[in-house]
Amino acid sequence: MSVYFVHKLCKEARRDPAFRERLQQDPEAALAEYRFSDEERKAVLEGDVANLLQMGAHGYLLGTLGNLRLFGLTPELYTQRVDAAKER
Amino acid sequence: MGEIVAGFGVPHSPSFPAMVEREGPQCVPAQLYREVAQALHAIKPDLVVVFDSDHLNTFFLTPLPTLCIGVTDRTEGPNDGTPALPHYIVPVEERVAGHMHKFGLDHGFDLAVNQEFTVDHSIMVPLHFLRPQMDVPIVPLFINGIVPPLPGARRCFALGQMVREAAEALPAGTTVALLASGDFSNDIGGLRAPRGRHAGTADPEWADTVLEYLRQVKIDDLLNEATSDRMARAGNVAGELLNWIAMLGAIGDRKPSFLEPEAHRGHAFGVWRWD
Repeated sequence: MSVYFVHKLCKEARRDPAFRERLQQDPEAALAEYRFSDEERKAVLEGDVANLLQMGAHGYLLGTLGNLRLFGLTPELYTQRVDAAKER
Repeated sequence: MGEIVAGFGVPHSPSFPAMVEREGPQCVPAQLYREVAQALHAIKPDLVVVFDSDHLNTFFLTPLPTLCIGVTDRTEGPNDGTPALPHYIVPVEERVAGHMHKFGLDHGFDLAVNQEFTVDHSIMVPLHFLRPQMDVPIVPLFINGIVPPLPGARRCFALGQMVREAAEALPAGTTVALLASGDFSNDIGGLRAPRGRHAGTADPEWADTVLEYLRQVKIDDLLNEATSDRMARAGNVAGELLNWIAMLGAIGDRKPSFLEPEAHRGHAFGVWRWD
C-alpha cells in the first residue's frame, strides 16, 4: 500500500527543485517524513529500482529517479538495473 | 437529436513532435497523423469527445479518478514538458460536457468532475497533429488506463454507449466525433520494456490481436480478452486500449475506414467514418 510514498517521492522530485536539492544533499533527512516500509526506504536509498518495481512502483513515475540522477542513478543505470530483473 | 459522426484513434508518443520536426513531414508518424487529420477536417464535427488516460500529470493519487469528465470552457498544455510541442490553449465545449456529466449520473455513470485543469502529452500530441488550429472544441473524458486496478473493458465500452446516448440527446444537428488516445502495447520504465531499453513495445502479439479484432469488428472477443491481466502483460501503459474500447462503445459495430499499424511501436492509427 505505502508504495504510494514512492510515487509521491517521484512526483515531488520532479515538481519541486528545492526538494530535489535536499534529496541530493542528504537523502535520508529529506525523506524522514515519508512513511515508507523499511524495505521501501532501503530500496529507495540504494536506488534499487528493480526491487521497487517488483513492490508495485509504476515505471512511468519511477523512471524520474534515473532521469533526475537521484540515489546514485543515471538513466543508463536505471535501465541496467531493471534489465537485470526482467524475465528471461 | 445529435449524432455521432466519426471516430478516430491515434497514439500519443511524446517523442513524435521532435521526431517530425527532425525528420520532416514524410516520416511515417507524420503521414499517418495527416491521414487522420484529413478525415477530421472533412467531417468538421461540432465537437470531439476525447477518451484519454492522463499519466499522473493532470491528476495524482490524491485522488485518482477512475472515470472523470472535464467540465470547463478551456484547458491548456502540455503540462509535462513534451519536447518540440508548443503550448496550446484548447477550447472545451462546456455546455455539452455538463450535459454528459448529468446524463451519465442519470444513466449509471457517476463520473468525477474536473473544472480547472491542464492536460499532458496524451491529449496535446494528438491535437497538435490533428488540429493545430485548436478550433474544434473537445470534451475530455479521462479513463484510468495507467495505474492498476483499471476499470473493466466492458465498463469502458458501456461508457462509450452512454456517450452515444448523451450525444443523441443533444439539440438536432449537433455533430459529435470521438477521439481515442493511446497504445495497445507499451511499457515505460518497467519490467516489460524490451531489454536494453527504457521503454518500448512489450507484447507485439497482443497489439496484432487487437488490430485484427478492430479490422474484423470482433468487439466481443476484444472485450473478453482485454482483461487487466492481459493488458498488464502488454506493458504498464497498455491499459490505454480502454480509450479505444470506449470509443468503440460510442460508434457501435462498424468497420474502420482506415486502420494502419506501426507494429514495432505497438499502436495504430484508425478512422471510422460513414459519411
